[in-house]
Amino acid sequence: MRVLIADDEALLREGLARLLRDAGFEVAGLCGDAVSVLHMVDARRPDVTIIDIRMPPNRRDDGLVAAQEIRRSHPEVGVLLLSHHLDSRYAMRLLEEAPQHAGYLLKERVSDIAVLTDALRRIAEGECVIDPTIISRLVARKREEGPLDALSAREREVLALVAEGYSNGAISEKLFLSRKTVEAHVSHIFRNLDLRESPQHHRRVLAVLAFLRSGRHSPEPHA
Amino acid sequence: MPSRQRLLGSGWRVALPAATYAALAIATAAIVARRPDVALAGHSSLRLAAELAAGALLLLAALAARRAPSWVRALLVATAIAWLLAEWNTPGAGGGFTLGLVAYAAWPALLAAAALRGPADRPVGRPEMVLIALAALTAVGVLGIASAFVFDPPGEGCFDCPTNQLLISGSTNAWRDLSHAGLALTAAWSAGLLALAAYRVATSSPARRAVTAPVLAPAAVAIALFAADALHGLDRGYLSNDPTDRALRSLEAVALTCVAAGLAFERLRTRRFRATLTRLVVELGGRQGPGGLRERLARALGDPDLDVLHRRDDGAGWIDAEGRPATLPAGDSQEITSLRAGGRELAALVHRRGLLDDPTLLGEIAVAARLAIEHERLGASRRAHLNALRKSRARIVTIADEERRRLERDLHDGAQQRLVTLAVSVRLARRRHGESDSQLDRELAAAERELNDALAQLRDLAQGLFPAALDEEGLAAAVEALAEGTPRLKPGQLTDRRFSPAIESTAYFVVAEVLRLAHDGDVMVDTTFDAACLSVDVQTASDLGEPPIRIEDRVLALGGSLQAKPRRLTAELPCGS
Repeated sequence: MRVLIADDEALLREGLARLLRDAGFEVAGLCGDAVSVLHMVDARRPDVTIIDIRMPPNRRDDGLVAAQEIRRSHPEVGVLLLSHHLDSRYAMRLLEEAPQHAGYLLKERVSDIAVLTDALRRIAEGECVIDPTIISRLVARKREEGPLDALSAREREVLALVAEGYSNGAISEKLFLSRKTVEAHVSHIFRNLDLRESPQHHRRVLAVLAFLRSGRHSPEPHA
Repeated sequence: MPSRQRLLGSGWRVALPAATYAALAIATAAIVARRPDVALAGHSSLRLAAELAAGALLLLAALAARRAPSWVRALLVATAIAWLLAEWNTPGAGGGFTLGLVAYAAWPALLAAAALRGPADRPVGRPEMVLIALAALTAVGVLGIASAFVFDPPGEGCFDCPTNQLLISGSTNAWRDLSHAGLALTAAWSAGLLALAAYRVATSSPARRAVTAPVLAPAAVAIALFAADALHGLDRGYLSNDPTDRALRSLEAVALTCVAAGLAFERLRTRRFRATLTRLVVELGGRQGPGGLRERLARALGDPDLDVLHRRDDGAGWIDAEGRPATLPAGDSQEITSLRAGGRELAALVHRRGLLDDPTLLGEIAVAARLAIEHERLGASRRAHLNALRKSRARIVTIADEERRRLERDLHDGAQQRLVTLAVSVRLARRRHGESDSQLDRELAAAERELNDALAQLRDLAQGLFPAALDEEGLAAAVEALAEGTPRLKPGQLTDRRFSPAIESTAYFVVAEVLRLAHDGDVMVDTTFDAACLSVDVQTASDLGEPPIRIEDRVLALGGSLQAKPRRLTAELPCGS
């Protein structure tokens, strides 16, 4: 798999490149700002691009803007956004337009090569990936008495994994459950939360994410 | 200021001139009675009474014109006295005969000097000075003293005249020439005075004309009448007592009475204006808001554009009633008058041209409105200080915010990036050497955990310093982001509006600080925008404990207000326009 790395910290992108090569990835290129990454993606067509959210020229959300640009111009190129921000709104901004082939991870995950490679593979396959810390914060949010309270502990676990972008198959592997059981959990969860179960799994990620982010127990209106 | 004003004032300044005039009036009446055939008043006691009354009224009016400069008052008193002495150059004058010879023609010159100066003490220009000098020289010098040196009464056929004490050498020709020249000069300076007076009145502003004319006009008439008499006596060579002389003398008495009336009118006008002004100032009372004085003065003076500006405490520049810095207008349409009292500049009045040409009026404003102006000036000065203070506090808030923003960026771009790089390096080291050395691998794994903990702490610190969401997406997004990390914070209705950075950061700070103060239990937040004001309402399940001074400081620094209850805090932040 060909990966492109964009980070303004030279030592970090070099280290990351070595880690990925060791893990069997091909590094298609390295760059240090939000402008050159667009050119490089255009020229080298990697499978996934890893982008730091805060990069020159403005050092605000330039990386996010570049990622959105890549999603629009090259839908087949996956994007993994790395960020120090725990706010779910950055993830939401990245995913809401086109959730497939995209991921949002906290920056410190890059040293955990297992997490990183798993995320890159899932993105390349068209799934979406959201950092578990962000999801666990959302699930832990204080709510008034609502449908979330009606879920069992196991169902909450499944809900979190759905929100992190995992498919039913992946969830059954992770939780050592049969696929049938996971499917039953998922449809029960969606009925309880009054969400529509979409056949496209990244659509259901967005629905769950929006529900969790709203912080209120009123169900999402059916669009 | 005494609470009750006497009509004339008091002391020798009144008693002495009044007594002098009374004594001279009695003496004059006696002189006229002794030789009515040669007196200007003649046999008519009515004419005599009119003469004495005209002088007396002029004297009283001069003494009562307390606002007039003392020079002018002295000249008017002298005019009244000299007016009597015109009867003293007759055989009936006895010992006063010589005084009569010297001073019989002096009163018009004295009156001219007084009238040109005027009751309002206008500055006297060069033409006036020349005229006054010429009049004095003619009246006392030529017609008076010089003529007396050569006037030998018996030689001129006056055998019952008393002795001329000033006689040096009698000479009919010299006396006739001097007298003739004196009369011609009298006519000349009088004509000059009339022209100058007419010019002055015509070119004055209405306000000044209202002060000048009531005295200057009758004085000019009196002097013109005397000049007419001089012209009448020119053929004869001297002033005498034929019916024309006597008729003119009576008219002069009427004119002098009018001068007295003019002075009295001026005094009345001043009093009336002061009463109006005092009433206005009293009306201003204690509850006067900034600018109230301006409106009252504008109404009292009839200039809607009138403005009152105050000196700043440090003397540099001006402020308006609100305490805002102001500059004096430079245009032609408006004029600036400095209002002074007790040698100190109280305020500057910006007004229509010519409105305050009347110095009496100005003096009255300074006296009557002094307290109100001083009061307003103090208020304006206080407001100026407050404005400066408020701006300075707002600046401190802004600077503190910028500093926190900078720190957040530095943490993010510096320490956080370095630690992540370090974590990657440790992971690389583990891959290279950890498999062969399990002890090293364990130690590196521990280091990795430490690094991740440090990163998590740094992230919290950076977020607490200044949440990136606040700048990028505003208050609502930042509060939502805070709630994601702090489950007990429950956002309610949050306005999506954007506000200035200082307002947004202050509102966010209120929420974050309450969250810190309310140690446990839920915290509910609502933000609403209404009437140019952002309202942040925070309710807590537990008591806030310590008074929220830090919150109060920030909210007040932006000119906002804070309502604090044990479990509820409402901050109102004015968002301006």
